[in-house]
Amino acid sequence: MPDTSSTLIRPLWLMRLTVIAGLLAFWEAAARWWVDPQFLSPPSRVFLSLPSLFDTQGVPAALGIAFCEFAVGFAISAAIGLAVGLAIGLSRLSRRSFMPIILLLYATPQITVLPLFILYFGIGPASKIAFGVSHGIFPIIVTVVAGVQNIRPILIVAARSMGAKRWQIFRWVIFPHMIPSFFAGLRLGMAGVLLGVLLAELYVSTAGIGYFTQMFTESFDPTKLLGLISVLALMAIAFNVALRRAEIHFARWRQN
Amino acid sequence: MTIGDVAIRIKDVSHQFGEPGDAQFVRVLQHASLDILRGELVCLIGPSGCGKSTLLNVIGGLIRPSSGTVEVGANLIHGPLPREIAFVFQENALFPWCTIIDNVRLGMVFQGVSKDQHEDRARTSLEAVGLSEFMRYYPEQLSGGMRQRAALARALSLETNILLMDEPFGALDEQTRMILGEDLSVLLARTAKTIVFVTHSLGEAVFLADRVAIFSARPGTIKATIKIDEPHPRKPGFVTTEKFAQLRNQLYGLLHDEIRKGVEFTAVMGPDS
Amino acid sequence: MNGQQEQQERWLSRCLQIGFVLVLLLLWYLGTTYWGISGILLPNPVMVLHDLKEVLGSGEFLPDLEVTLFEVAVAFALSCVSGLALGYLISRSPYLIAVFEPLLSSVYSIPIILFLPLFVLFFGLGPWSKIALGATISFFPIVLNTIAGFGYVDRIFITAARSMGASNAQMFRYVLLPAALPVVLTGLRIGFTIALLAVLGSETIASFAGLGHRIAQLADAMETVRMFAYITFAVAIAAGLNALVSSLERQAKRR
Repeated sequence: MPDTSSTLIRPLWLMRLTVIAGLLAFWEAAARWWVDPQFLSPPSRVFLSLPSLFDTQGVPAALGIAFCEFAVGFAISAAIGLAVGLAIGLSRLSRRSFMPIILLLYATPQITVLPLFILYFGIGPASKIAFGVSHGIFPIIVTVVAGVQNIRPILIVAARSMGAKRWQIFRWVIFPHMIPSFFAGLRLGMAGVLLGVLLAELYVSTAGIGYFTQMFTESFDPTKLLGLISVLALMAIAFNVALRRAEIHFARWRQN
Repeated sequence: MTIGDVAIRIKDVSHQFGEPGDAQFVRVLQHASLDILRGELVCLIGPSGCGKSTLLNVIGGLIRPSSGTVEVGANLIHGPLPREIAFVFQENALFPWCTIIDNVRLGMVFQGVSKDQHEDRARTSLEAVGLSEFMRYYPEQLSGGMRQRAALARALSLETNILLMDEPFGALDEQTRMILGEDLSVLLARTAKTIVFVTHSLGEAVFLADRVAIFSARPGTIKATIKIDEPHPRKPGFVTTEKFAQLRNQLYGLLHDEIRKGVEFTAVMGPDS
Repeated sequence: MNGQQEQQERWLSRCLQIGFVLVLLLLWYLGTTYWGISGILLPNPVMVLHDLKEVLGSGEFLPDLEVTLFEVAVAFALSCVSGLALGYLISRSPYLIAVFEPLLSSVYSIPIILFLPLFVLFFGLGPWSKIALGATISFFPIVLNTIAGFGYVDRIFITAARSMGASNAQMFRYVLLPAALPVVLTGLRIGFTIALLAVLGSETIASFAGLGHRIAQLADAMETVRMFAYITFAVAIAAGLNALVSSLERQAKRR
């Protein structure tokens, strides 16, 4: 293979940074000179007007509530997902009986029942959390079941041959074995909760994030709108990074 | 089948991967030289990591050596020469999305053989390796031994003068290797190809080769060659003769120290590519 | 376990499954008919069925369905073309793959639905904001899978073909394309599913037409019976489309 590395930028992270910088520059140029300012705002202006965004009444509160909804929704998803996953996964009979139902629910487009959730739980944080949980539990259940199911039978045989009782096998063999899968599921679950909470927030236009996105859209204020979107995007990234850190810390041993 | 003039001239080939100072730097070949005669079957044998597969790839034009040259006939090798040289790889290089016969045909498409010859050549070569019945099967449906037969058929259908085989039976069990080795000997007695065959197995080398080239441990160079004066096709009984045992012992003696050196080297440095 | 035990277990699990679903349906029916759960929150299943028949019979659903299908089709077409083209180009060089794949993956990990208000700002409440969002979101699985499919073709196949004298065109047609196809097709299927979800979602949130919008509208008007009918309809349509796409993928892979 021809060795072109001497002509390209190493290290890679620098090249990636260059690409990102290039895109930001393009955005800046486009917003300044080519696109109507009613529709697009350059990143410089968006960044500089962040303080005024936070000064807008209700915005910090809405962001704070959204943050809490993510966190609570994720915690509940993890708990329910783990519990249900273990309940279904530990017995072959329950796996065969209930996994098809779980998979069916996982595959349905839950967005169609978003208005129903709002109808039931109201326009406050409860419906956002509920919708988030409803998106988050399924990947967790599926991966927990897989993690329990995948264990090589020889490990259980070995434990039993050494005199382990049922609960000991669960505690020392099955549970630790399942942890990496659980974390993989948490990653998907996190994405689900973020999606669910955001969908619900955007839908409810009378309060919260949805109220402000609608307001900024209707008053053609791309600066504030982009600012809001950026803050939320950063929040999402922060959650992902935090989860990634936790995963590295807890699931240090990896299977294949 | 008589052995003639020089078909492949390997002159002072050295090769290294990476640059000195790199973490991955490794010198695999050091001044390897060998003349391979037309119609000869030469086995390259040596410890792990000694560069025999690298040398094979250099001969075939798949790698450009850091220094030294290889001449095939009148040509200086600097790239693949599909009309002269065909490969059989150790790894399964049959395309999994094609049937066996399509795999063989595809080789001819690449080489540029005219379409009307494809069918005949494909069938002939598959018959020669004993796979006529399995033409329409997919590689995953066949055993390892059959897959390597198919790979051989593909190489044979290209009707090249030179065949390069990189531990083609390496992934197979002992018994399959034995059978394939015998079949290969019969097959090659019929053709007049020049063959370079990389192997780890002493018995296989003595059984198949006209000459065995022994490599030193990394960085590899050709330490010695042994001539095996026995007519082709080699009978299965050859393996039990006194002559075979003597040659095998001779080979063992030349190799043993190098293998030890190779093993110790990898134990200290860790396995690398 | 032996054959007989296997049979028994399969039968038993089937029973549990069906029993579970039946019990839920029964509770739903009893709850709304006899136990006084408000019809506004949870309509009677029988009434929903009636309403669904009415909607289907009258063809009332057609304009909304057309809008949704149009948006999904255009969004998917856009993301296909751009995803396949860009994915293939990036896959040609390991350097480009190393630079762009992590960037694309990272962007994909943010909920891109966030950008919906921006698209509404650009394109208004009409179909184009939904198409833009659908195309943007479904672009990512397609481009990532295309990069993976073409970029990680087992080296041995390329080496073998090269040793047999394959030209670049032959390499693409006989080696790269068939090797990459399963992964690329999976990417396309995922892309379609996501485009569908993105369109339905954005219709629900900000639109004046389409199935998602219709459901939201009925919720606002508290017409829960009809809303349930439409939800059932939308879920059925989505399931049907996804099944179609999955079967197409399977067929294309079976060569």
